Amino acid sequence: MANDFDFMLIADVLPTLLQYLPITLEILVWSIFFGMLLGIVVALPKLLDIPVLKQIVSIYISYIRGTPILVQLFLVFYGIPALLQIIHIDVTRMDAIYFVIITYTFSNAASFAEIFRAAILTVDRGQIEAAYSVGLSRMQAFIRIVLPQAIRVAFPNMTNTMISSLKDTSLAFSIGVMDMVGRGETLIASTTRALEIYLALSIVYYVIVIVLEKVLKRNERYLNRYMQKEVATS
Amino acid sequence: MTIDISFIFEAFQEICKVLPLTLFMTFTPVLLGILIGIVVAFVRIQNIKIIAPIVNFYVSFFRGTPIIMHIMLIYFGIPIVVDAVAQTLKLDFDANAIPILFFVLVALTLSAGAYASEIIRSGILGVPKGQLEAAYAVGLTFSQAMRRFILPQAFSQSIPNFTNVFIGFLHATSLAFFVSIKELTGVANIVASVNLKFLEAFIAVGLIYWGVSAVIELIAHRIEKRVTAYSKGGI
Repeated sequence: MANDFDFMLIADVLPTLLQYLPITLEILVWSIFFGMLLGIVVALPKLLDIPVLKQIVSIYISYIRGTPILVQLFLVFYGIPALLQIIHIDVTRMDAIYFVIITYTFSNAASFAEIFRAAILTVDRGQIEAAYSVGLSRMQAFIRIVLPQAIRVAFPNMTNTMISSLKDTSLAFSIGVMDMVGRGETLIASTTRALEIYLALSIVYYVIVIVLEKVLKRNERYLNRYMQKEVATS
Repeated sequence: MTIDISFIFEAFQEICKVLPLTLFMTFTPVLLGILIGIVVAFVRIQNIKIIAPIVNFYVSFFRGTPIIMHIMLIYFGIPIVVDAVAQTLKLDFDANAIPILFFVLVALTLSAGAYASEIIRSGILGVPKGQLEAAYAVGLTFSQAMRRFILPQAFSQSIPNFTNVFIGFLHATSLAFFVSIKELTGVANIVASVNLKFLEAFIAVGLIYWGVSAVIELIAHRIEKRVTAYSKGGI
């Protein structure tokens, strides 16, 4: 077996891998979008102190945070078809990418729910009272006073969740999704050069993470524009 | 397909047997990673020439790429390096003799080092500068001040972050399944394939991970309470 390292191969496979980048990003974007929506729903029972629902939500969040995303992926992949078979819906032939999006949505929702809840709780109680005193309704006070301040607090944590979610998409291939890593695996099979391909994949992930970090950092600065200088830069 | 509840218990018992291996794969890399993290954090805080850019790249690369990539790069990369070295030195050593577990441990250690260094760095920077000055004022050297004043405070403040790293790496050990290590997820997959009961096996393994995570969190909470006892009171 020729063991010499082939730098040119990295450059050769990069364009092929990049063709599959949209699928990776598609998983990321949808799972973050649905994750946020579900995250709001999941955060509510604890914020509004609804009994029973509150406990269910706590168990859900604890389970998601307590198990590896890989196990969650397998559970969704085997569990959802089994659940739907009870009501006679056959989804065993459904594209695997939907299972991936569902898993990451569940996973992101748990993270987002905790982030939203913590952020809303950091807004000073006096702010809401001040809003009421100038005659705003509960809804108005929340949307105009609490939410903008909460988003500022939540944003850095949401950024972290998005970036770790991007890195988690690298596991989608394990249930047979043809994303960037999935394509990489087939390239390894055809070229028998695993190291170069994994290096190429790492480079792509590294670059996307750096770009994503830069973009999100800029947004963070925008959200902090009303804050005093020393707070905003800290 | 119906869910076979009794098989969940069976799988649970079967999978639990490899729990020690998973725990070993979690704690070794994180503890070694903390050592790497301390060194890296100092290099970055002191901004030592030449080394600082290298460790900066190390931290950002390992934090910017998925852990599965680290495992694969080490798994396929080290044998090539080892074989090349053995060939040039005319040593009679075959990279195939290295156990796969070693590669996984190296990959997880390097990755844990990058995550730990960021935590330690922010922990050290979180200790007020006055503490260091106070230490100097009573005549301590830099290393004494670090060991007796700064690092204990930095570590006690960072316990929640370290807990996350421990749990994160407990979950990361599930990736060793891709290089066919028989840890929790790997055994779950074997149990599932042998009996053709995938859902039950993964429910069982999910419960195990959940339980271990809960225990780690509980222990960390206990430790945190004790270690931060000095700062009780005030607000």
